[in-house]
Amino acid sequence: MIKFLFKGIIRDSSRSVLPIIIISLGVALTVLLSGYITGMMGDTIDQNARFETGHVKVMTKAYAENKDQVPIDLALLGVDSLVKSLQNEFPDMEWVKRIRFGGLIDVPDEQGETKGQGPASGLAIELLSTKNNEVERLNLKSSLVTGSLPTQRSEAIIGHEFAEKLRISIGDSVTYFGTSMNGSMTFANFVVTGTIRFGIASMDKGAIIVDVWDAQQMLDMEDGAGEILGFLNTGVYDDEKAEKVKNAFNSKHTGNKDEFAPVMLKLRNQNNLDGLLTYVDLASGLFVAIFVFAMSLVLWNTGLIAGLRRYNEFGIRLALGESKGGIYRTLVYEAILIGIIGSFVGTAIGLGLTYYLQVVGIDVSGYMDQANIMMPSTLRAKVTPSLFYIGFIPGLFAMVFGNMLAGIGIYRRETATLFKELEV
Amino acid sequence: MSTKQILKLDNVVKKFPVGDGRYFTALKGINLEIDKGEFAGLVGPSGSGKTTLLNIIGSLDSPTEGKAIVMGQNISELTHKESAKLRNIHIGFIFQVYNLLPVYTVFENVEFALILQNVSASERKKRVMEALEWVGLQDLADKKPDKISGGEGQRVAIARAIVKKPDIMLADEPTANLDAKNAHQIMRIMKKLNEELDTTFLFSTHDEKVMKYLERIITLKDGSIAEDKQVTPQKTLK
Ligand SMILES: Nc1ncnc2c1ncn2[C@@H]1O[C@H](COP(=O)(O)OP(=O)(O)OP(=O)(O)O)[C@@H](O)[C@H]1O
Ligand SMILES: [Mg+2]
Repeated sequence: MIKFLFKGIIRDSSRSVLPIIIISLGVALTVLLSGYITGMMGDTIDQNARFETGHVKVMTKAYAENKDQVPIDLALLGVDSLVKSLQNEFPDMEWVKRIRFGGLIDVPDEQGETKGQGPASGLAIELLSTKNNEVERLNLKSSLVTGSLPTQRSEAIIGHEFAEKLRISIGDSVTYFGTSMNGSMTFANFVVTGTIRFGIASMDKGAIIVDVWDAQQMLDMEDGAGEILGFLNTGVYDDEKAEKVKNAFNSKHTGNKDEFAPVMLKLRNQNNLDGLLTYVDLASGLFVAIFVFAMSLVLWNTGLIAGLRRYNEFGIRLALGESKGGIYRTLVYEAILIGIIGSFVGTAIGLGLTYYLQVVGIDVSGYMDQANIMMPSTLRAKVTPSLFYIGFIPGLFAMVFGNMLAGIGIYRRETATLFKELEV
Repeated sequence: MSTKQILKLDNVVKKFPVGDGRYFTALKGINLEIDKGEFAGLVGPSGSGKTTLLNIIGSLDSPTEGKAIVMGQNISELTHKESAKLRNIHIGFIFQVYNLLPVYTVFENVEFALILQNVSASERKKRVMEALEWVGLQDLADKKPDKISGGEGQRVAIARAIVKKPDIMLADEPTANLDAKNAHQIMRIMKKLNEELDTTFLFSTHDEKVMKYLERIITLKDGSIAEDKQVTPQKTLK
């Protein structure tokens, strides 16, 4: 019977083409949107983790409360032993120190006069240590535009645009001016070994990257760091694991009312990511629901029209001894077949488009200047396994639901009335 | 009773609502028995109730009053499903317009009745080809309905109805759309099936050509049986 129905669908294009087009479109859009959201969210989360939040992050309570102001005076102290104990307790994670700082970069000419000056946001990482993956994590090598990475102390890399603005060349010496951890003026000289572009608006504006040891010296922050970031060795953020680590760590420090006591936050707790993730889940769920609804309405109507055209056929089939229920069931089977075909086509199209957007991406750097969330300046979709089936849900559901509604007309009509139409 | 009874109508009345709570009485107490192997026809002017009566016998409609027993089953008491089953197994329909499903081939149109009975594919093929042979159309098996003539279409419709070897064939004005030559051919095919397979036929017609083949003529007038007589068909027809 299914084979028989299938032949009918294939041969009677008026029965199949329009619904298949509608479903394909809807499914393709669903797949694309879903891939786009996953890609965008994945990239956003990944980037936040790498550059800012880690999978978990340890700070002092006071620092955590004011972290937007990068309060180096509230930094953690005794970080070497803290990192060791973290490594012991959570061996399947990597723990790294980072210091964020802000100040002024001054570029002197040969005579020592200021050639250029600009505000810089500094990031100190364990750049010279070989025991961690920070260089890979921040993609430093491939983000280099000119020069090379620092190999010794008192060397720095700076943002490429920033360097151009201040007319800094490789090998130039620049001076950093800022405040130390205890509030006094401080300065340090760095030799620029390379310029860098991350493709992240908030990082590219005016960045200087130095080694943590240099920053500690410069900021009078011996054995201190603003933040300790923890990364799961899988490299992928896992909210449940992060939650466990966070709870295990924080439970040891709950009694401590000191504002310099360490506290751990997971990625989701930082940078408004929790709200963003929840919002995206909600938005995509809503989108799919609206889609199913709209498509069902359209397919209901096409089903009704197709049904009217087929009353003659239904009459013959009744006469041949098919029951109304049987005919109704075959309509549902047909809807399932068409839904599957449409979903297949739509999924293929959607995957193609998603793949295209994965490779090409959409450049949104123009809109990102004001963003306080760290987002990639090129949004890319991502082809994930779920995209291969996600479109079938709205595709099948809308088609079957629409046709079930349309098919009710068969029950409403008297058998003899359906049959009468044969006599014309 | 020497022969098997196919149907028995006992005082069958059919009223159709015509608005304002009033009714039009299309059948006014029909009593009728038809036995296996009969070749009978309902004749009478337009509006006399022939189609209404065939629909009731075919369990597409049910009587307002009275009892219609077809193949031992009371039409009024059947559920949708049971009446579908009765049609599927025991009754073959032939219409004035041959009503083939346009997207299917001749073969598939005939096959459909057997698919409904869950007959296996190999058995279906055998029986469909056999039925097409009965009506002389085995060569047109793969043609679509819009590629064959009206007479051929009606022969496919006969094959479709006969392929499941029903106990009774109900044919409502089967020749109305055919020319004389095709009408005679159709009637000869049906007579042959009646003789060879012992299939019962009940026609509705006002076509003289059909009447010449009938062995029993039941005349309806205003929803009542005016006359019911056995006749000797003219075997000499060419
Ligand atoms: N569903 C219906 N509602 C109201 N009246 C109906 C209905 N069906 C049939 N009738 C009426 O019942 C009467 C008998 O109709 P029927 O179709 O049985 O006649 P018939 O003998 O088959 O006529 P014809 O030779 O034209 O086919 C007609 O007057 C018709 O108008
Ligand atoms: Mg009629």
